[in-house]
Amino acid sequence: MTKTLMNRIVLTAALAIAYVGVPLLLGGNAYVLGLIVAALTIAGVAVAWALLGNLGGMVSFGHAAFFGVGSYTSAVLAMKLGVPVFAAMLLGGVGAAVSSIAMLPALRLRGPYFALAILAYAHIFQILATEMTAVTGGAGGLLSIPRFPTLLGFEFGEKLGGYLIVLTIVVLAAFAYDAIRRSTWGLALKAMHDTEVATRVVGVPSTHLKAAMLVLSAFITGVVGAFNAHFISFLDPDYAFSSGWTVLPIAAAIFGGYRTVWGPVVGALAIYLVDQLLFKPILPHGHQMILGVLLCAMILFSPGGLMPALRRRPVKENRHAHA
Amino acid sequence: MLELTLQALFSGLLAGGYYATVAVGLALVFGTMRVINLAHGELVLLAAYVAYAAETNYGVNPVMAIPVALVIVGTASAIVYALLSRINQDREINSLILTFGLGIILTNAILSIWAADIHSTSDPWFQDSMVIADTLFAMNAEVAAFIGGLVLMAGVWWWLNHSWQGRAVRALSSNRAAATLMGVNPRKIEILSFLIAALLATFAGFAIYTGKTVFPALGHVLTVKAFIITVLAGMGSIPGVLIGAIMIGVIESLTVTYLSASLQELAGMILFLVVLFVSPSGLFGGGRALAR
Repeated sequence: MTKTLMNRIVLTAALAIAYVGVPLLLGGNAYVLGLIVAALTIAGVAVAWALLGNLGGMVSFGHAAFFGVGSYTSAVLAMKLGVPVFAAMLLGGVGAAVSSIAMLPALRLRGPYFALAILAYAHIFQILATEMTAVTGGAGGLLSIPRFPTLLGFEFGEKLGGYLIVLTIVVLAAFAYDAIRRSTWGLALKAMHDTEVATRVVGVPSTHLKAAMLVLSAFITGVVGAFNAHFISFLDPDYAFSSGWTVLPIAAAIFGGYRTVWGPVVGALAIYLVDQLLFKPILPHGHQMILGVLLCAMILFSPGGLMPALRRRPVKENRHAHA
Repeated sequence: MLELTLQALFSGLLAGGYYATVAVGLALVFGTMRVINLAHGELVLLAAYVAYAAETNYGVNPVMAIPVALVIVGTASAIVYALLSRINQDREINSLILTFGLGIILTNAILSIWAADIHSTSDPWFQDSMVIADTLFAMNAEVAAFIGGLVLMAGVWWWLNHSWQGRAVRALSSNRAAATLMGVNPRKIEILSFLIAALLATFAGFAIYTGKTVFPALGHVLTVKAFIITVLAGMGSIPGVLIGAIMIGVIESLTVTYLSASLQELAGMILFLVVLFVSPSGLFGGGRALAR
């Protein structure tokens, strides 16, 4: 019991710092705040990726597809149909969720087959976005996408406003991930991870549960993508469907620990900030190499990620505890 | 119209030759280790860049660079194996992510050494075109790569079917436990499969450098293409992989000729998804590996 209490206190303190401390301290430093917003954008996708990987047991190499579809859906709705930006952002998530329905047949594939089938989807969506010039503006992209509005006298279109929005998205996504993990669904998914056949025999609709995780993961990624579109106010297919939206979140989730709720968030902040502040100035080309090294080192030396590795020191835990 | 189609079919056939050498390497490693080496395309790329470095820095004919490339790619492949064999927990997911990470490292190493520019050989012989029939054209390099690839694959095919070690590779692929009981040393055979894959990758890298163009992002594209081909062929046999590779090559070149070059990848991807959903054991059956 004391452990959950400890966790609550740490979480509350972290949230207080994130919502009050960071705006007060860094509110004026547009550069660092911009980096943090970008890191949180990756964190949002990383949480969605981890949700699918941990609960659904599926490695995706195609989350860029959901990110891109979400960003385009939202941008086009706001620009062409005048949908209010916040509503468009949520609809961006819905759009990504709908696009994930096209991937449901891939659920019966396992391991590398699923991972690469979803990568194929991402490529197909990118090509479609480039070719459907009438809606998406083609390779030239969309310029001056509406920014977030000013609500109750607060400018959400500014860096600080963007920070608060993306922070809230990430926190809600992590809470949703946590809630599912604790629910009976989470239990069923964990059982499925151990032995899928036995779980199906006792009457768990495993395919439906996996489908639900895929759609939810797509929704979260889509909302994050939509946020990004309105925050930077520009989109083109190569950017919106960039493999970076797949690689960075995977590196973040693996680094932080994709079987934990907050690991992907911590991982994203650590990896992105270190990459941008430390390695990019040293190695202007190919600084992503460091991500590869981190990814391999984590898999080889601490496959559970950073969070469990840090926690393992003081308390001896059951090493096979996952999901 | 007919001439265009024939030329497209011919170019596709030639491209299929080197696609197949990439894919056979991937399938061989999958057979022995049950791991898709997502860094395989990057190994091909590495060989291509060794040929490029030899040509531009030392003025050597790219053919002369093959032995050096073999050593470098073989070493890289052995390192991939050494790291992969250390994974013992959640093998399926972790080995995918590990090789994915290794691919990122290789791509970025190439990017930081040779920059993102597109390169191709400057030796005129490779680029010269050869007239096959009155309207069919091909570059010398393409024809050489196709014939070389066929010979190499025939060699590997013979080796798999007639040598003790080749049989051990197949035994390990079909039943690991039984093969081990029959006196096959799995580690030896696994590393052998990685070395043969490196040999094929070196050849493919050389073929791409002389007949096509290379750039750092190509490695990833090649891995995906090789995977698509093995899915089409059902991981089973070398002739199957060759047919799958030629199919992809032909479909791509027809797409480029009649639709648009930007749709080239799309055709292969859609075919891949259709096959995965309709017949997950591949077009030519015998895909026990897939069903497992």
